[in-house]
Amino acid sequence: MIAQVWKTQQLTIKTIEHLSMVFIALLIIIIIGVAIGIFLYNKKNLSDIVLNILNVIETIPELVLLVILMPFFGIGYKPTLIASILYSILPVARNTYVGLTQVDRQYLESARAMGLAEREILWNIRIPLALPMIAAGIRIAMVFTMGVVTLGGLIAAGGLGGPIQTGIHLYDRDIILVTGLWIGILAVLVDSIGNWIEKTLNRRYGYD
Amino acid sequence: MINYAIILNAVGEHLFLAYSALLVSIVIAVPLAVISLYNRYLASLLLVFANLIQAIPSFAVVAIVVPLLGIGFKPAIFAIILRIILPLFKNTFTGLRDVDFIYIDSARGIGLNQWEILRYIRFPHALPAIFAGIKFAAVIANSVAILTSLIGAGGLGELIFEGLTNFNIPKVLTGAIPAIIIAILLDISFSLIEKRITLKY
Repeated sequence: MIAQVWKTQQLTIKTIEHLSMVFIALLIIIIIGVAIGIFLYNKKNLSDIVLNILNVIETIPELVLLVILMPFFGIGYKPTLIASILYSILPVARNTYVGLTQVDRQYLESARAMGLAEREILWNIRIPLALPMIAAGIRIAMVFTMGVVTLGGLIAAGGLGGPIQTGIHLYDRDIILVTGLWIGILAVLVDSIGNWIEKTLNRRYGYD
Repeated sequence: MINYAIILNAVGEHLFLAYSALLVSIVIAVPLAVISLYNRYLASLLLVFANLIQAIPSFAVVAIVVPLLGIGFKPAIFAIILRIILPLFKNTFTGLRDVDFIYIDSARGIGLNQWEILRYIRFPHALPAIFAGIKFAAVIANSVAILTSLIGAGGLGELIFEGLTNFNIPKVLTGAIPAIIIAILLDISFSLIEKRITLKY
């Protein structure tokens, strides 16, 4: 049953497609998210507004965000990518901002005492110490992106959401079970890689 | 042309679906958290599960329910519960567990029994955490309730999917815009209640 579904639904190609979409989206999310976090750190009075706007976007159901983008970007890969970016920027930006602002005083004071400029403190002290926090944000973003990309199958973005939709439309239990469980396993695997990276960074740069 | 009756009906279905699932989940998750407080094995088992399940996309959860329970309203409620019950449990449990030991110690000192400690010390202190969990669960329930229209649960998602199959964008928007308004109202109202609770405790 598994082998048959795997073959007819071309799950190998779909998986590669799926993961590459997640990977590209994540790359963009990390760049934009960290940039927004650093920007907010420099302009603290904007942080409340920007984080609140991102927060509102995140409460919108994933599917609704996806279809709202359709009039502007059509169907397929593009709206899916943009939806996953909009949806996942908040955890990265917020965690970067919080990580940068909550660096322990003692490190900052000793850095200032050694005569480091504020910019040097940002790059050499704050960012390294914020890395575990940023990684935690990226891990959340990873989970969100997996979710949105899976949904992308509904608007013809490719990836593993497509076979699920096919399965539901044909009411084919085998397709639904195999693809659904495979997505579940994949998501857990990806998340545990994220967990491992987060733990490693925590050991290297964490406080405790 | 917009048919308000259809939209209102869909909004009603959507809210009923999301909130009955939320209510059932709270009713199950809170006692489960209390039991786990006194049973370490159950607690660690459920926490591991909670962390794993959180990573799985909602769409996959909704899909897997179909071969097990078929399609319609009940499987949809089950899918939403499946999606939100463990985050609810996790927040309630950690809230109850992480109450500062000083309070519990002094409560014991003045002779409160286990039940009284739970009722008067642990629950009030855990309330902000429990409420944060409920807010999180409500947002997810709202989002999954749109998705479950795919398996015949009705609601706002149905308008969206009907529009999608004909590529009828206005119809898609009649489903999508109310959903966004609901999501934003939900966030605002929950944030207000949350502020009150955190101020009080």
